[in-house]
Amino acid sequence: MARIKLEHVSMRFGDFYAVRDINLDINNGEYVTILGPSGCGKTTLIKVISGIWTPTEGKVFVDGMDVTNIPLEDRDVGYVFQNIALFPHMTLKENVAYSPRVKDQGDEAMESLSTEYLSLVNMLSRAGMFPKEISGGEQQKVAIARALASGSKMLMLDEPLSALDARVRVELRYELRRLVKKLGITVLHITHDQEEAMSVSDRIVLMRYGSVAEVGTPLELYRHPRSVFAANFVGETNLLECTVSDKTKNGKTRVKLRGGQEVRTSKTDFKVGDPVVISVRPEHVYTANDGLRAEVRSVVFMGTYWRVRTMADSRDYVDFNVPADEEVPKEGDVVYLVFNKKAVVVFARPQGGIEEEIKLE
Amino acid sequence: MSLLSRIDELSGSSKVRRAWFAFACAVFVIVIAVPSIFVVTHLFTDWDLVDLVLNNEGIRNTVVSAVANSFSIALIVTVIDILVGLPMAWIMVRKNFKGKKWLDTLLDMPLAFPTAVIGISVVMFWISPEGINIPGLGLSLSPYMLVILLHIIFTYPYMVRSLSAILEQIEPNYETAAMTLGASRWTAVRTITIPLFRAGLATGFILCFARSLSETGGTYIALTMMGVQTSFFTGPSFISFLKSDESWYTSDEMMGAQILISVIMIVLALILLVVVRKIIAKFRFPMNKVWPDLGRKVSRGALPKAKDFLTILFLIVVVLLPTFYIFLYLTQPIPTMDYGQLFGSIGTSFLVAGIAVAIDIIIGVPMAMYIARHREGKLGQLLDGLVNVPLIIPTTALGFSLFLFWGSLGLDSSFDLLLVILGHISFTYPLVVRNLIGSIEEVDPAYEEVSMTLGAKPFQAFRKVLFPIIKSAVIAGGILAFTRSLGETGATTSISDTVNTVPIYITHLVEDGLYTEAAMCSIVLILICFIIMFGLRAVTGRRSKRDA
Repeated sequence: MARIKLEHVSMRFGDFYAVRDINLDINNGEYVTILGPSGCGKTTLIKVISGIWTPTEGKVFVDGMDVTNIPLEDRDVGYVFQNIALFPHMTLKENVAYSPRVKDQGDEAMESLSTEYLSLVNMLSRAGMFPKEISGGEQQKVAIARALASGSKMLMLDEPLSALDARVRVELRYELRRLVKKLGITVLHITHDQEEAMSVSDRIVLMRYGSVAEVGTPLELYRHPRSVFAANFVGETNLLECTVSDKTKNGKTRVKLRGGQEVRTSKTDFKVGDPVVISVRPEHVYTANDGLRAEVRSVVFMGTYWRVRTMADSRDYVDFNVPADEEVPKEGDVVYLVFNKKAVVVFARPQGGIEEEIKLE
Repeated sequence: MSLLSRIDELSGSSKVRRAWFAFACAVFVIVIAVPSIFVVTHLFTDWDLVDLVLNNEGIRNTVVSAVANSFSIALIVTVIDILVGLPMAWIMVRKNFKGKKWLDTLLDMPLAFPTAVIGISVVMFWISPEGINIPGLGLSLSPYMLVILLHIIFTYPYMVRSLSAILEQIEPNYETAAMTLGASRWTAVRTITIPLFRAGLATGFILCFARSLSETGGTYIALTMMGVQTSFFTGPSFISFLKSDESWYTSDEMMGAQILISVIMIVLALILLVVVRKIIAKFRFPMNKVWPDLGRKVSRGALPKAKDFLTILFLIVVVLLPTFYIFLYLTQPIPTMDYGQLFGSIGTSFLVAGIAVAIDIIIGVPMAMYIARHREGKLGQLLDGLVNVPLIIPTTALGFSLFLFWGSLGLDSSFDLLLVILGHISFTYPLVVRNLIGSIEEVDPAYEEVSMTLGAKPFQAFRKVLFPIIKSAVIAGGILAFTRSLGETGATTSISDTVNTVPIYITHLVEDGLYTEAAMCSIVLILICFIIMFGLRAVTGRRSKRDA
């Protein structure tokens, strides 16, 4: 079991902070993904946690012990690399037996541990092969077995699936979760794929510009994001600029879009006249007889649903979904849109504008 | 229609392309490969000469000990190069520090020096021979030791370069992965990185071994300055010694001795080429046992720092200081010199090197392209192996072989200059081709294919797409070959005694005891080399910046 705690951790390269002042608590056996656009400091963060790099400021605790200055080889952290990094000159068995070997645990331990973990990932039948003789997905399974065979209670996964084919990627991620949950291991999993993050993790840490932007369960981040960036990065959404036009005593708010159309939202703390942005996901937009007037620009078949893109009178693009077996509007049609008011999230309008706020790099 | 567009047009025909490749192959086989080992046939046609040597105990013993010296020195030098080269390669590839660029340049410097010059400089540094009034360390070293110290200097850069090239290809994550699994740095390097080194080790081993085996000028000069050139021999220095007096080398016995030495060295070198490849490919380090505590101890604290310090110290004391020691002559009054002779010989050297490199590139490009793109095929593998042959053969033996080959075709001494150029093409050709193969392999053939789908003829695709990409490798290979040709003594002496290249001129000065003059010539030559190299770098550097 391993509980990880970060206190004011920063990693600076020259004048550039790759990560800055990170505070984080990770529980025993928790599966946490670190999600963020490329260059946001995700990899730096787990390299610091695992001891590959020593942070320039701050402390790392494992089970209450300060491990900041303990060298990498004594940290007991399993690490799985994006480029897999199986040792090419060793068989799969030798790869998995590497950790018991370098810890001089004896031939018996090498034999039993490599057998145990290779069978755990269903690769025992290939034990005598070399890494280049098996597929990418299989290689990554062996790499995971190798990391687990070190007996480590925490596992760092550095974009473990991004080098694999789409189908393999989806299968392996469930396999991965099943495996570590069975063993009760604490996992930090890095990814830039929000779908992957949502489907495997207990908690998501959303990072941006080297800092933690938001932390929450997948459901919290999806339903109640606390920033425009999170709303846009986790899942798909429509963002519309507007102004608070009216508010009831118990907090229910009305906003006015560009062009004057009014929309009802859930409770907020904003005052009348505040410039705001609303976020509404495509599955919460419906067509009706009255509402926001919009012209259909494109209709795309997505398999289980149709994705319709419209240009609304408020000069915003608004996307919505239509179930696959229902009738869809044609390009050029005029539709009237309404939003599910419980699912409309209101944010203060960012000073630099929406474009700047949702920029990825 | 201009010449270029006519060639573009012609290159569309596969017959023309095949003919051009066949021509490049033919030139390689007829001008480079066959003459290089032609001397072996003389073992049969001139057996009576060889027999004379075998029956003369004195000469026979000299020949045997010369060959034994050559091979044992080459082996010791190569092993030292590996031991000191490995930590150096690490410093160059895995570490970042201020002044790394300078270290990088300094490391290559000995390659730009003609070995004859390094020979003078090394003797001056380690011992204080008679007739030189610049003080050195004044150690009393045996000729054997001194030759080892000398050969380390110009083989070391090859070793570091080959090892660095491989280390750069080895994913640094392997070591990190090993360390996350509990291996100390030392154990990780020993069990992961070193075993992955094999290919680089083989290349470095062969390059250094062959270079040490064939070095003539520096060795002969060093032995002459120590006054032991008539009693201590390596294979090549023995042939140089014979060449220093016409009445010797035309005698039957000495002709036989030269044939014998050349054949032994060629055959042993070729066997070695095959054997070393095989051994290094098969060899598995007996590394299953690990010592975790020992590994941790040597991975931390003072030891790694001491290792880096010693590596740099070795570079400075054994390689750089002895190389540059000759510049101390700049503190001496300038002697009256025969500038006509000096600049004449410089002119000859540049003419030979220039023509050789130009021809290397012209016939090397199609060869390199074929080898790089047909690795899997039989012909590709055969050519890949054959191209190395002139690199392995000691240049003195190669020169002697060439001399016999073209002599048997009736080219007498009036064609000396031409023969010397042919000789220099032989041993520089592999350097250019190797460099080109490496860089062409990096280029995705899709670039050329795309340009041809856009309507380019094959030669246009080559000119406009492939060549600009590999240009820096062409220049690097060219510079390497040019400096190698400029510094070559052995091949030149054994082909002709009338063509005076700079190293030959310097050797003659040393033989006459004119050390100051020899040193001044060396300095002038080095300066000219540097000006050309920096000029070339500046010109190509600027152009690539503009392209970018």
